[in-house]
Amino acid sequence: MAVAVRKTESNAVLIIGGGVGGMRAAIDVAEAGLQAYLVESTPALGGRVAQLGFMFPTHDCVLCRGTSDHGYGCTRPSITPALLDHNLHPNIKVLTSTDVIACEGQAGNFTARLRRRPQFVDPAKCINCGLCARICPVERPSGFQMGLTMRKAISKSAPRAVPDSYYLLDKADTCDECRKCVEVCPTEAIDLSAAMVEEELGVGAVILAVGYKPFNPTEMQEFGFGRYANVITSMQYERLVSRSGPSEGAISRPSDGKPPMRIAWLQCVGSRDQKYPYCSSICCMYATKEAMLAKQRLPGVETRIFTMDERAFNKEYQTYYLNARDRHGVQYVRCRISEIREDPATRDLILRYPGGRIHGEAASGQGPLVEERYDMVVLAVGVRPPELAGQLSRVLGIELNENGFCQTDKFTPLETSRPGVFVCGAFASPKEIGETIVDASGAAAEAMRLMRDQLGSLPSSREHPFVGRDSFGPERDVSGEPVRLGVFVCGCGGSISDVVQAPETAGFAAGLPGVVHAEYLPFACFPDGLDHIRRAIGDLRLNRLVVAACSHRTHESLFQRVAREAGLNPYLAEMVNLREQCAWVHADDPDGATRKAKELVRVGVARVSPAQAVAKERRTPSRSALVIGGGVSGMTAALTIADGGFDVHLVEKSDALGGNLHHVYYVAEGANPQRLLRDLVNRVIAHERVTVHMRSEVARHSGSVGAFESLIQTPAGQIEIQHGVTILATGGRESSDGRYGLGLHPKVIRQSALEELIAHQPERIAAMKHIVMIQCVRPEGAPDYCSRTCCTNTLKNAIRIKMLNPKCAVTICYKDIITYGFREKFYSEARRRGVLFVRYTENDPPKVEIENSKLQTSNSQLPTSNSAPLSAISHAKRPSAITVRVHEHVFGETLELAPDLVALSMSIAPGEDSAALARTLRLPLSTEGFFLEAHLKMRPMDFMEEGIFLAGMAHYPKFIEECIAQALATAGRAMTVLSKQTMFIGGSVAVVEAAKCTGCLTCARTCPFGIPQIRANLTGVGGVRGAAWIDPARCQGCGTCTAECPAKAIQLLGYRDEQIMSGVGGWKLQETKELRELAV
Amino acid sequence: MNSGSFPESLSHMNTNGHFEPDITAFTCIYCAYMAADTAGALHVPYPANVKLVRLPCTGKTDVRYIMEAFEQGADGVYVVACSLGNCHHVRGNERGKARVARARGLLESIGIEGERLDMFFVSGGQGATFARVAREMTERVQKLGPSPLHQSKS
Repeated sequence: MAVAVRKTESNAVLIIGGGVGGMRAAIDVAEAGLQAYLVESTPALGGRVAQLGFMFPTHDCVLCRGTSDHGYGCTRPSITPALLDHNLHPNIKVLTSTDVIACEGQAGNFTARLRRRPQFVDPAKCINCGLCARICPVERPSGFQMGLTMRKAISKSAPRAVPDSYYLLDKADTCDECRKCVEVCPTEAIDLSAAMVEEELGVGAVILAVGYKPFNPTEMQEFGFGRYANVITSMQYERLVSRSGPSEGAISRPSDGKPPMRIAWLQCVGSRDQKYPYCSSICCMYATKEAMLAKQRLPGVETRIFTMDERAFNKEYQTYYLNARDRHGVQYVRCRISEIREDPATRDLILRYPGGRIHGEAASGQGPLVEERYDMVVLAVGVRPPELAGQLSRVLGIELNENGFCQTDKFTPLETSRPGVFVCGAFASPKEIGETIVDASGAAAEAMRLMRDQLGSLPSSREHPFVGRDSFGPERDVSGEPVRLGVFVCGCGGSISDVVQAPETAGFAAGLPGVVHAEYLPFACFPDGLDHIRRAIGDLRLNRLVVAACSHRTHESLFQRVAREAGLNPYLAEMVNLREQCAWVHADDPDGATRKAKELVRVGVARVSPAQAVAKERRTPSRSALVIGGGVSGMTAALTIADGGFDVHLVEKSDALGGNLHHVYYVAEGANPQRLLRDLVNRVIAHERVTVHMRSEVARHSGSVGAFESLIQTPAGQIEIQHGVTILATGGRESSDGRYGLGLHPKVIRQSALEELIAHQPERIAAMKHIVMIQCVRPEGAPDYCSRTCCTNTLKNAIRIKMLNPKCAVTICYKDIITYGFREKFYSEARRRGVLFVRYTENDPPKVEIENSKLQTSNSQLPTSNSAPLSAISHAKRPSAITVRVHEHVFGETLELAPDLVALSMSIAPGEDSAALARTLRLPLSTEGFFLEAHLKMRPMDFMEEGIFLAGMAHYPKFIEECIAQALATAGRAMTVLSKQTMFIGGSVAVVEAAKCTGCLTCARTCPFGIPQIRANLTGVGGVRGAAWIDPARCQGCGTCTAECPAKAIQLLGYRDEQIMSGVGGWKLQETKELRELAV
Repeated sequence: MNSGSFPESLSHMNTNGHFEPDITAFTCIYCAYMAADTAGALHVPYPANVKLVRLPCTGKTDVRYIMEAFEQGADGVYVVACSLGNCHHVRGNERGKARVARARGLLESIGIEGERLDMFFVSGGQGATFARVAREMTERVQKLGPSPLHQSKS
């Protein structure tokens, strides 16, 4: 076996797993100027997310919005165009079908041994013509389609794959070696004798991003999966409903292909039971999404979700859930189904459960058993550790936890048990996409911190519309030249030329205006073809290029690069798609295809002729960061960036660092948060690169990425600072108002006050007989959302009370217990210790009555009169007694409790000054009042505004470890900017011609991102003061404003009106033919 | 705007007198372009009467582009965008939708059938849907016959 040894590189990071997490980590590492090796065990990147057509709660796919790169089209299954074959980031090496089999050394200096299984098709030669798959006689169930369709032994996982190549899987099991594929391949890309290769890599850090495995429900025989045709898993349903699924999203049931009109989802299959005791965290929301998709696609469908708790614990999730329930009519039944039976005649499925519990709103206890028929049952399968967990644990020497996931510690959530090896995403615990992305950027930050001396050592460039290394010769200025166009028509080894008369099309092109050279090339994208084009541009002094070949999506970057290599601005190159959009869809009409090919070439020539060179603005980023907020998130971000070698200004408005961490005395997992606080504060104060501004606020914030300017209001006066990035970590706060007599009676306290009592006055707890806790208390008029941390906090306190005083009764009144992930064990432990749980509903909350008082309170505002202030009551000799009444729904009885203490879990609200700060920084807020990131799933730590990042509870309520992960993520994102020598601003962006602008603000209203502004220093039409200005650092290049501007004062570079309009109309083949004849 | 005349297409009427319409499809480079590529990758056929014009987003669909297409002799025009709510530029496709509606009104006001213009929302994986849309538009325009602007020349 051949072993290739790459030289040991201290600036390289090994990333294992090519799903969304691995891709995110790779792009961050690469952008920070380090080398990323992205290792994936299957033949293509994308992981689980590649199989999902829709995300919750956004109901979109938009993997194309994974980064702020624009103009590349659909990047699926990649989250960034920098992983597409012909636009691959120069700092990323993708290694598919590869396993890590050994890893020696230590943090900063590992040697990893990789084994690469043969794919039998050389990706460098594969042109994706698909002839091999069409001729291959062997069929196997498609793994990508979850066995719902068949695929050939030699195939591609999906029409769009990264890397974009066919492969032969499991040759020994599938392939008969008939060699038909070898014979039919036009590029001799297939080698059935290819062998395994091993190689060694020197790397400084390792990031594990191997994701998870969906639970296989076959072992739960009571559900009949595998026996009953219409019992499917949620992953199969995802494929059914996906637009790229077997029926492009038309939902049909497997037994007879009919649209199912009654569908049930069974939650917690493989989660929250005796064998799998943790919560899988994602199933509640994905089932809600799946049911909503059914409602959208199948009018009149009945959807019922059988669930224990509805865990909608993230941003916008509660709104999404309520929307599904109340507006779309998705029904939720609080019940765990124990068995599915099948009617063999109809293949319908029969479920039995106690009726009367829909929406958990049953008024009079448990109803009688009902039996219902369903057309299809979806098992919401849980999250299991990834296949690779055991192997990686052995190879890397990392510990796994009791559930088989990667072991991490509370306050170092991205570190494994081996220094220098980091983890992100679902391998650490069940997680959704957004959290995985946060982890991935955070793990990248950990690697950057470890390898700080190498940051920026491999600079990459975005000077051009493709990613590169900026090592081109000078660019020719062709602006004054008459158009000299070269047209190259590619045959694509027959893929095009077998249908389209390609040489004839080239001959036609030769007669078009401005064309000085046209020719036919058998393979334009192969090295010979590229050389030929480069030479022709130079020899014939071409100043415009048209390549009529395949898709812009896959090859535009390649030909733009070729143009640039030959000295032409890449915006003077144009592609025409004669393959996917012509030859392949008109194979039955070769004359029509040739006619269309000619017209497309004519349009391409017309479009590129008036094109102008586009140059980006160079910017040297200011190498310091501004961090707003000195809590756990702000301090973590500041320290990480400072450790990376950059200066940090940390602005804290209060007189102490630490924020909410001051009020956390212990955590459910057992670690000591006060020690964390001390450590962080000491390190921040001692760090030479961190400047702390206490009792300070940001008064002004302007500029854009790499070049921000801020005015800090400090007690000593105003300070002006320049910074490359801004991190927002202003936190949240426990809300407070007069609910249930809070603040009016000493026995009614907040959960945080109870925690303080337990920590500082345990003797008082020891004397108590009964404590009632009420969950989900929010101030009057506050939006309804889950504060995510309260249930675990409450359980933490309940368990501590039971430890201190087992005789003290603890009753928890709740709506849904949200102990996601491994936190489920605290719920189990609390029940084991005898804590009583009483579910209440939104319409029937508990009531708190105070003796000798007219106060009878529920979750509605009390009159906050001054007549009974807190001090007056607490100074009374004996506080009056309180009674809590709560309706218990299973037994249908109202419980009357007389507790010594009532603890309220108040919602966590956004920081008090977030609205003001949002105005200062021009940032959006979510419906809950938290800061709104660029995309809930794909960019949870970014804003649309480049260079500003978001961490901690300013984003949404979250646990300490989640704050730390997000703070690390922002630090990682920040360091991708700070480590650059040169940034490039602009490109294909909208530009206002001020002299035409009337200042009507139409552009400002039309822009989906709110970017255009009126600038007083510009002069508009007729000499009027003020005209629109579009910041090239912020413009997303959609062109929406250009199309709406009534004065036509805005042009989108690369898409000027004259470029687009010259070829939009009727097909002008005859006209050009006549022109050509005239020319001859 | 480019020229005052509306040149005839080469195969405007094919040899057996069957009307072959010239159709322009504006596509965004995201879902719509991907759907066209998927149709190609899956070899789903559709009539060769449709030419695709790339826009960065269907929010870029200027009413002038549509009117210009008809003025230059297109018999039918349609716009293909990402599914609503799934736009790379968040709501560019909604803007595009509004403009297509406006352009339809303009067409009708000058006596051109509004059905010659339409908009479709197609996801990147929907190759078959993309092909179906192309067939549908071709058949629709075939029934309507050549555009009046086309006929004005003949």
